[in-house]
Amino acid sequence: MKTLYIASLALCAILLGTACSKDILKEESPSSLTAEQLFKDKSGFEYALNGLHSQVRMYRAGQPSDPTNNLMCTQAVIGVDNGYGNYRVALIDVFNLYGNYYSPSFSHFDMVFEWLYQTINAANTIVNRAEKAEINWTEAEKNAIVAEARLIRAWCYRHLTYLWGDVPLTLTESSGTAIKTDWERTPVSEVRKTMEADLLFAEQYLPEVSASDIRLIKGAAQHYLAELYLATGEYDKAKTVATRVVANLNYRLVTARYGVNKNNPGTAFSDMFLSGNSKRSEGNTEALWVIQNEEQVIGGEANNIMRRSWVNRYETFKVGNNNISPFPVSEENGGRGIGRLAPTRWAMNLYAANDERGSDHIWRHYYILRDPTKIPTGTNPRTGVPYKLGDAVYLPTNTVEKHASTGNPAWPSTRKWDNTSKLDMSGAVQYNDQFLLRTAETYLVLAEANFRLGDLEGAADAINALRARAKASSVTAAQVTIDLILDERSRELFSEEDRRYALVRTRKLVERVKLYNKAAAPNITDRDTLLPIPQTVIDANLTKRMPQNSGW
Amino acid sequence: MLTSLSLKKRLLCFSFLLVFAPALLLAQRTTVKGTVKDESKNTPLAGVSVMLKGSGNQGAVTDDKGVFSLSVSHPNDTLIFSNVGYATQEIPVHNRQVINVLLMLSSSSLEDVVVVGYGTQKRKDITGAVVSVDKQRLENLPNSNFAQALQGALPGVSINASGGGAEGNSVSILVRGRKSVLASNAPLIVMDGIPYNGYLSDINPSDIASLEVLKDASAAAIYGSRAANGVFLITTKRGVAGKPVISYDGYAGIQEVSNLPPVLQGEDFYNFKLTRLGIGGFRPSELENYGQKNFTNWLDLATRKGSRVQHTLTARGGGNNFKYYASLAYMDVKGIALNDDFKRVSSRVNLEANLTSWLTYGTNTQLTFNDRSGEEATFSSVYTMNPLATVYDSNGNPTIYPIREELGVSNPLAPTLANSLNNSYKFQTTNYLQVKVPFIKGLSYRFNTGADYLGRTTNTYWGRNTATGYEKKGSLSQGRSIERNLVLENIVNYDRSFDKHTIGFTGLYGYEYRNSSTTSVNAEDFPDDVLTFYQASVAGFTKSSTSFEKETLLSQMARLNYSYDSRYLLTLTARRDGYSGFSEDHKFAFFPVAAVGWNITNEKFLSNIRHLDNLKLRLSYGSVGNQAITPYQTLAKLGGRHYVDNDRTAAGYIPISLSNPNLKWETSSQFNAGIDFAILNNRISGAIDYYDTKTHDLLLKRAISPVHGMDEVTQNIGKTSNKGFEFAVNSMNIKKKHFTWSTNLNFSLNRNKWVDVYGDGKNDTASKYFIGYPVGADFGYVYDGVYQLTDDTLKTPLGKVGAGYAKIRDVNGDNVINESDRTILGKIEPDFVWGMANTFKYKNLSLYIFVHGVQGREEPNSLMSDNNVSSDVRYTTVVKNWWTPTNPTNDFYANRIGATSGKTVPIIQNSSFIRLKDVLLSYDFSGNLLEKVKLSKLRVYVEGRNLATITKWKGLDPEFSSQTTIPLQKEFLVGISISL
Repeated sequence: MKTLYIASLALCAILLGTACSKDILKEESPSSLTAEQLFKDKSGFEYALNGLHSQVRMYRAGQPSDPTNNLMCTQAVIGVDNGYGNYRVALIDVFNLYGNYYSPSFSHFDMVFEWLYQTINAANTIVNRAEKAEINWTEAEKNAIVAEARLIRAWCYRHLTYLWGDVPLTLTESSGTAIKTDWERTPVSEVRKTMEADLLFAEQYLPEVSASDIRLIKGAAQHYLAELYLATGEYDKAKTVATRVVANLNYRLVTARYGVNKNNPGTAFSDMFLSGNSKRSEGNTEALWVIQNEEQVIGGEANNIMRRSWVNRYETFKVGNNNISPFPVSEENGGRGIGRLAPTRWAMNLYAANDERGSDHIWRHYYILRDPTKIPTGTNPRTGVPYKLGDAVYLPTNTVEKHASTGNPAWPSTRKWDNTSKLDMSGAVQYNDQFLLRTAETYLVLAEANFRLGDLEGAADAINALRARAKASSVTAAQVTIDLILDERSRELFSEEDRRYALVRTRKLVERVKLYNKAAAPNITDRDTLLPIPQTVIDANLTKRMPQNSGW
Repeated sequence: MLTSLSLKKRLLCFSFLLVFAPALLLAQRTTVKGTVKDESKNTPLAGVSVMLKGSGNQGAVTDDKGVFSLSVSHPNDTLIFSNVGYATQEIPVHNRQVINVLLMLSSSSLEDVVVVGYGTQKRKDITGAVVSVDKQRLENLPNSNFAQALQGALPGVSINASGGGAEGNSVSILVRGRKSVLASNAPLIVMDGIPYNGYLSDINPSDIASLEVLKDASAAAIYGSRAANGVFLITTKRGVAGKPVISYDGYAGIQEVSNLPPVLQGEDFYNFKLTRLGIGGFRPSELENYGQKNFTNWLDLATRKGSRVQHTLTARGGGNNFKYYASLAYMDVKGIALNDDFKRVSSRVNLEANLTSWLTYGTNTQLTFNDRSGEEATFSSVYTMNPLATVYDSNGNPTIYPIREELGVSNPLAPTLANSLNNSYKFQTTNYLQVKVPFIKGLSYRFNTGADYLGRTTNTYWGRNTATGYEKKGSLSQGRSIERNLVLENIVNYDRSFDKHTIGFTGLYGYEYRNSSTTSVNAEDFPDDVLTFYQASVAGFTKSSTSFEKETLLSQMARLNYSYDSRYLLTLTARRDGYSGFSEDHKFAFFPVAAVGWNITNEKFLSNIRHLDNLKLRLSYGSVGNQAITPYQTLAKLGGRHYVDNDRTAAGYIPISLSNPNLKWETSSQFNAGIDFAILNNRISGAIDYYDTKTHDLLLKRAISPVHGMDEVTQNIGKTSNKGFEFAVNSMNIKKKHFTWSTNLNFSLNRNKWVDVYGDGKNDTASKYFIGYPVGADFGYVYDGVYQLTDDTLKTPLGKVGAGYAKIRDVNGDNVINESDRTILGKIEPDFVWGMANTFKYKNLSLYIFVHGVQGREEPNSLMSDNNVSSDVRYTTVVKNWWTPTNPTNDFYANRIGATSGKTVPIIQNSSFIRLKDVLLSYDFSGNLLEKVKLSKLRVYVEGRNLATITKWKGLDPEFSSQTTIPLQKEFLVGISISL
């Protein structure tokens, strides 16, 4: 018996000697990823870059609080001279009514602010860890990755500085052991110095062109660098850098018909916006930065709601004496839209008759009667005879934008974002690739730089390069003013550019809204040039008061 | 680490030693026989347990003639006679061979044995705050889970439903107030000695024999790290020695909606929309329906008359060395929400066998099958669904788009069309070996194991007859989840009495491991709908994901109970726990508690005072912990943000959470002072408790500046305090030969507040943590009535407004309404809560009435807003007293867009209520009739639940945290209980 006791004692000693409670309690999470696990090799850094691109793409997606309706970039495109909100809902109220609605507690401002800093932190993580990590890569490979991250970081600070002015500058990966409650608003000038360094680095190390549609290229860095110099008033540098893009044949303007719709009616300008024509690999030389989407591919479904936001609710447009709505949601009509964002009347009236940028390939001014069971009664004012199948029913041209409780469906819309899901033609989301930036915008940066330098000829040349492509008549040097440049930007880049930023940079926001945006004109004030710092940011700065922008 | 290892070693070795140890022969034995009878009726008592004192489990049970037989080894041994509902007696053998005993009905609960965790104690020996639930709450009542039974029934235990529904699982349980913010406030549930993880509804309430709640540190500390929010100890029914008792209990009943908020219907909705938008705001389809007076009351369509049926069959019995309890139950609830069905089949086998004189084996094993198949109507949108929308198409099927112009509005009845399979199987088994250690009297060892497995399958397919399926050409989601839990415990017990000293020691070394994994598949784009959720392989697009989570706990505990002369009681407890979810340097924490008790009535100087049957003072102080956060919060995690390159996925990741290398336990220091009393021959008894709990190192998801790239991080920060007072009294108001009236009353109040947030005395507005105010207090603008025609509306703190606009209080008086005018709103914590049960018995007829209430609570009413109609008045809203020029009220602002000047202005209402929860009328047949039909028990009963509620709240229900959920149901049941 005694032997048995000893044997059992020995047995349990062996069993227990092998296990330690520290090991038993070790925290292991096989199904989630940490930075230490990811940033171990080059492909880990590339995964992180993909994450950054996915973040950038959210600019044209719905923000988290109402992803099918609240477009992230709303603040850049309405409440300005060429865009207004054609609906009554919180996010629209803000940019038509300003005043009380434009408040630090408005959640959309939080969403945009947080999304940008989330992206900055992701970029900082790449930049910081590339320096620290022992990775098996060449200096060139490393620099290309860091350059892409730094370009995106600068792109985020560009949004932040134009929207809020002075903002906290953070260039290091956030850590749970270093939570800050005393952030300071870094002066814009300092933030811009960092942006300049980032963009110069990106310009140096990004390739001029890339075989991959996913990689960023030098031209994008140069464009934003040139635009930055406009903002800092370094017009010489702006001109030099912009010229590098404009002069680079790799980035030349698209001047001829090409691609998927080449043999159907259209223009060189409108070809660029078609699905299948946006990327450089698809023949688009003008593309400097393209965001990619793809239906039914993981990573491809990014909740892009540009078309949904810009296309109007034509299915509720009422025509004829019998007041019927004859236009169903269809691919021909652009897919389904909720028309919350709309051009101002002024923006639509900017085009001369022959300007291809104002053509029916880019703008929707009419719909065609296709349903024999839905023919309006009465006379079609366009033909002078009763409505009949196949008629184009034109939208009225004598109305002005106003802040209406239900949107005005009898209002034209841009076709730049037309695209429908193959699964559900009425679906909210679209899946085509889209420009974030094209060389045309660099021409307008160059025009602005030349104008500021007093080189009106140079400014006119830059503008005329775009006008020639659009088959519009040239402008003379004498005609060039800052307003003309802003007008030209609207003609060329309507709904593509961050309109508010151009107006803020040229100090024209309030003036031109009062002139051209009838919905917001009575309401906008100088205060509204910048967004209020989100209250959550102020509230979370526990140990140091963060000053609000003036006027709140 | 060393100490823990060596203790573990010692305990485990000990268990080996015992397993291999030879059985010891006992000394020469004699047999004692006798009959046990009821003292008042002089009838034999079956099933009385007869135990040899100090022998642990060795004993016998009386048969149906009340006869027992037991062998004793020593003429001076003492026998213990105990039976449920009777006072336990100890009778020395004194060389007798026949002992006849009369047992008295126990008038006092002091001798009741109470489960206290890792053992039992007599109530008179307890130093902590322990309450037992009245068994009446667990029987013959329509409870889907035990939490429903406890609502209002125990002082200091607050149970709130967030909404209605057939399963009734959406309840939150709070013991003595909200201490934690991020960490769970839910108590630890221990079933048959093993921590229970899972749905409340997986436990059949009718299997529960007793339910105790450990409220203070003294009682709960043996569960150390998880005891801060109290501990619920559930003991399931055991076998009772004697002839088999086979019972059936069944009831059936109906359910109906108890209350609905007044939603604007038909004509009224039309007028509301007309006022708000004008005729141009209507969609053509709305006007068509209006023209034809084709109004839809969605609430009527989405609710139904529900039903509830339950059948329970149990058998219990056993002999001297073997006892069993087995049950099989079926429950079928059809809730009042359309398609809200819940079915449960549960079975349980509890066995205990004395394998040898020193070794006992037991198992408690439960199998549960739950069927939640069927998707109920979308209640959140039923309350606001447009009355001018079209419910059914020309074929009588629910429309895909009820407002044909609005593709964003789907039919709230659509879920009833989805193909749904939602099943879960739970297997839970606890097994133990108990060893009476030879040579050392009073020492025993127990090896406790618990294992459970929950497998859940959810398959849903949305066909083309629903908006979801129409838009995706069929949409499928499948989920499989598995949860596993393993507990191993080594427990040593030592109980001895020397003269007037009684010592009890319990030592524990335990290990707990839990993991869960989930696999899900979402797919869309199918050729047709025929194969429903069995066609993932032909989907146009499939997404799948898998997740895994595990956590581990290591625990050591020691408890010492000492009493002197049953007058002075002392309990010392210490527990040390290690949890995997905390950071490397903070895995372990230590929780000590001390408690004293004084049975004053056992003092000689009180022995002459009549009518004072019990007076006991209890004091305890100590600390307990809370680890209830999900694992992996110490890690800085990356989240998937995938991108695409042409048609190929480009996997992408960004940082989504911050690490916290210092994450550790949340600790509560609890002080408790209590008095137990009984007077007038135990006709009135009760307990009064005062407590003061301070919780520090709170686990908080603290709001941080979004500049970090995330807006929150989990940290140990802040202090909260809960102070409270509880009072429970049981009173036999009238005790006549044929009539009795007794009352159970409980009352509790709790005062909860933030003591500090970051150690600097400052609030955290971003996180809504306000020092001096309760956790979770509402914060915002104060509604201050309506601007009237006589007011100057051009210059107000809100700027230019119109008559009929909402006034917002200018809290800081600076004549501008901005963020600094936000303040604490309402009163989330009630003044007090109470519950009262009255039982009237006349001969065999019994009437039980249970009422509970919440007093002095004010909360924002989410229904009191017009914003939910959306800007184009797509939805309807609740009827309000709107301001109009001819109705210059301050109740509610005008029906117009912008009437709140773009601000959210919650309207606060009193959410106090008194609810008639249960009325149960039962009749127990007795005497000759029972004998004729050869039954030992026959009861018939009718029950009504939620029959009436008194409240000023204008909404769905003052108790519910959501006002747009499935309504509370009224229930009416008839039932029968039969025992052979």
